[in-house]
Amino acid sequence: MSSARGHVDAHSTRWIAAILGIIIALLVLPPVWYLFQGSLFEITPTGAVGEFTFEHYRRLLEGERLATSAVNSFVFAIGSAVVALLFGGVLAWIVERTNAPFKVLAYLTTIISLGTPYVLYVTAWLFLLGKVGPVNDLYRWLTGANDVLINVHSMTGMVLVEGMLWSPLVFLLLSATLRTSNPEFEEAARMSGASVWDTIRRITIRLALPAVMALVLLVFIRAFEGFEVPALVGLPGRVNVLTTDIFLALKDTVPPDAGRASAFSVVLLCVVAVLLAFYNRISKSAERFHTVTGKGFRARPFDLGAGRWIAGVIIIANFLFVLVLPNLVLLWASVLPFFQAVRWKAVGLFTLENYKAVINSPFYLELVWNTLILAAASATIVMVLTLVVGWLAVRRKPGGWLLDQMATMPLIFPGIVLGTAVMQIYLAVPIPIYGTIWIILIAYVIRYLPYGMRYGYSGMLQIHRELEEAAGMSGAGNLVILRRIVLPLLAPAVASGWLFIFLLASRVLSLPILLAGPDSQTIAVAMYDMWTNGQGTELAAMGLLWTLIMTVIASGFYFLSRRSGAGVYGN
Amino acid sequence: MLAVEGLTKLYANATDAIAGGIRDAEFRLEPGTFFTLLGPSGCGKTTTLRCIAGLEKPDSGIVRLGDRILFDGAAGMSVPMNRRDIGMVFQSYAIWPHMTVFENVAFPLQVSKDVRYGAADIAARVQKALETVNLGGYGNRPATRLSGGEQQRVALARAIVREPQLLLLDEPLSNLDAHLREEMRVELKRLQRQTGITTVYVTHDQAEALSMSDRIAVIEKGRIVQMDTPEGIYYRPKTRFVAGFVGVTNMARGTAEAAASAGAAVAVRIETGEQIFCQAVGSIGASASVAVSIRPESVRLEKDDGAAPDTPAGETVLRGRVDQASFQGQSRRYDVQIAGWRLMVLADPQVRLSPGDEVRVRLSLRDTIALADGNE
Ligand SMILES: Nc1ncnc2c1ncn2[C@@H]1O[C@H](COP(=O)(O)OP(=O)(O)O)[C@@H](O)[C@H]1O
Ligand SMILES: [Mg+2]
Repeated sequence: MSSARGHVDAHSTRWIAAILGIIIALLVLPPVWYLFQGSLFEITPTGAVGEFTFEHYRRLLEGERLATSAVNSFVFAIGSAVVALLFGGVLAWIVERTNAPFKVLAYLTTIISLGTPYVLYVTAWLFLLGKVGPVNDLYRWLTGANDVLINVHSMTGMVLVEGMLWSPLVFLLLSATLRTSNPEFEEAARMSGASVWDTIRRITIRLALPAVMALVLLVFIRAFEGFEVPALVGLPGRVNVLTTDIFLALKDTVPPDAGRASAFSVVLLCVVAVLLAFYNRISKSAERFHTVTGKGFRARPFDLGAGRWIAGVIIIANFLFVLVLPNLVLLWASVLPFFQAVRWKAVGLFTLENYKAVINSPFYLELVWNTLILAAASATIVMVLTLVVGWLAVRRKPGGWLLDQMATMPLIFPGIVLGTAVMQIYLAVPIPIYGTIWIILIAYVIRYLPYGMRYGYSGMLQIHRELEEAAGMSGAGNLVILRRIVLPLLAPAVASGWLFIFLLASRVLSLPILLAGPDSQTIAVAMYDMWTNGQGTELAAMGLLWTLIMTVIASGFYFLSRRSGAGVYGN
Repeated sequence: MLAVEGLTKLYANATDAIAGGIRDAEFRLEPGTFFTLLGPSGCGKTTTLRCIAGLEKPDSGIVRLGDRILFDGAAGMSVPMNRRDIGMVFQSYAIWPHMTVFENVAFPLQVSKDVRYGAADIAARVQKALETVNLGGYGNRPATRLSGGEQQRVALARAIVREPQLLLLDEPLSNLDAHLREEMRVELKRLQRQTGITTVYVTHDQAEALSMSDRIAVIEKGRIVQMDTPEGIYYRPKTRFVAGFVGVTNMARGTAEAAASAGAAVAVRIETGEQIFCQAVGSIGASASVAVSIRPESVRLEKDDGAAPDTPAGETVLRGRVDQASFQGQSRRYDVQIAGWRLMVLADPQVRLSPGDEVRVRLSLRDTIALADGNE
């Protein structure tokens, strides 16, 4: 291109790409580097790098700790994926494809659970399934026995809680798949004389299989790298998995054993990277089966006949188990000075002290501020970056592919691993941000870049190329096209991506638990501390109030994302 | 005006290794020409258009507009699309949904770098452009509240509002229903004549091409196979492909009885035995195998009264029997059986024949064409 004008315009895109490339590389690459360095070198407590060593890995392999944790991680992840798929998958089909009643309850359940911090969810289930919780209580009352029906602090308890935690997401993603897949395949089967059951078995399931497999793998990965349930449910019962081992090496060891944590992290990182590669392959083939016609059709639902009432009962059961019971038990706990079995005589102890304590505390107010500011700031930064990267990538501008790859890379970091890595960087690099809100913000931006990419990229894909080309032919340069055509058209996708990241960032525990200092706590960390300090009832009060705020925001997200139709990675 | 030389753009296709695109396109248009690229879907029309527009970077070739060189592969120069001063209407229309009709049409003026337009000037020009496409008064309409035909007009107004040197249209009528398409065909032609903008039009519809164009280039598998006036393309197709693609034709295989140079008369013995006098397209060797193309409306039928027919020099007269007859409005269609050969004829509705009638079939030399078979 020797034309002077040609240079000017191609240059403007190259500059954008180069600047973005530097920012993203600075965010994404150091964590990987420091993690590997930390696992392969002696690092002194002052952060100086010592000798090269395999000692950290050797110590990992000593004893049966690694093997036990790894096996536990796998069992936990597989179990959770199966439970989540059973609950969420059946529900999605009933809601999207049949004439069952009470469908609105399923959506309600999903929206509210999107706004609930995991810590709170998990504690609700711990209340429910705990020794004096209503489930075991009922069991004892019915059988007259003295023991418990289930011990929640066990692998079974972990799997159940994690599975229930993910079922709304499975529902959300699978119902989106069912909604956009072409109903004519099923209708053609029905017209060929197939029964409802035959159609489900031979057409619906076959067509949805790749999407379902992708989803199973997704939940598997998320559970595998999950931290909340293993920490709250597993640790007290001494059921360790890889993520809690990393946590223990850093928080329960004095001085923190960063080498061991790094080695653990590298192991976890590798496993997750392999799993994600699998996931990408499966979900690619899932997309091929996915025939979006772009028409606003709505599938005619199957008539289940009398069976629709059974389906209705399933919807109500989901509503009860995922939404009503956990929140009821939280409500029960929140008006008691300490948690008690559900008995009539406990009613006399009812008090609003917990709520008063929460509302009047300046400390909690600061937590709310910290959390909201962090969530809003990280969502904004991520969406600005990924909007431009998405444009460069989809339109195959120079550097676009590389930027896309870099921005998607943090997906391989489990939260706890990223926390470990970021901690090491800022211990080593002399920037005084450790223990401040800034280090958490940086970690959030890294963590949520891939999620933003998902929205930026798929939003871009929906914009017909000719809309931009028409602007180019009208005489507009790249920057003008970006500002006047792309940005306004992407607004719905950007808004729903922003809200999604906001919701994730406002409830995540695994990052701030390692990075937060005394003045930079977030709601999720405070909840975790309250639970481990035995302030469960105060936690319930605060959690319910927080859930209320978040549910409002989550409904906004839900309606926006239904309109913009972007998929999500989960979490 | 617009000159394209040796324009080549090939897409290497990883999966089936069939290279799509355009090879060696070459044409030169006088100012004000309505030029059409005609060919079946996938032959490379859009590719050619996008190369001219600057939306695609050609592998090689030269594109010149007026005295400006827009692209020169050998010199490695290329003017970016937003600096080419070309108006374009896209197949999807690409009306920006977040703007009003006015904003859509005003956009090219607002982003103009070479000339700065004042607000009043912009308003006046947009108004004029909208009136040209019969959309005066639509300015405040949101772009999402437009019918297909109105969207198409907005796209046109947006393309001409800057009074560009060249207008590119990519199958602009294919998204419209049949009735509207007919109407817009006339409308487009009127508009082009009124504005005098040199226009490159892409379509796969031969009727559109024939009725609107000054010149037509027929493209087959990425190559321009014939470039001529609509009449030339229709009556003097150079290859079997062109004859078959443009209009309906009767095609028969045969052998030349003697050698003939281009344009000369030649007697051809077709496979079913009849001898037909044809005009040779390109030179034909003796006993070369040829294809004969006869337009159904150029055949004349008359009732066979058994008398010996008068046969003017060069004209072919054959005997046959009407097999099927159907009324089609502007014409009557007869399927005539001539020995083993079946000939389709479109005749004036005044000529009334019934199935079973014995007929004489007259083929004039001018409209009966022999194509060397190698030209397929
Ligand atoms: N970006 C591309 N990559 C690969 N092949 C392409 C691309 N664009 C077009 N083609 C192929 O080039 C051929 C010509 O395409 P096109 O010019 O769009 O045809 P049409 O004449 O229908 O407008 C087609 O076979 C098409 O598949
Ligand atoms: Mg095309």
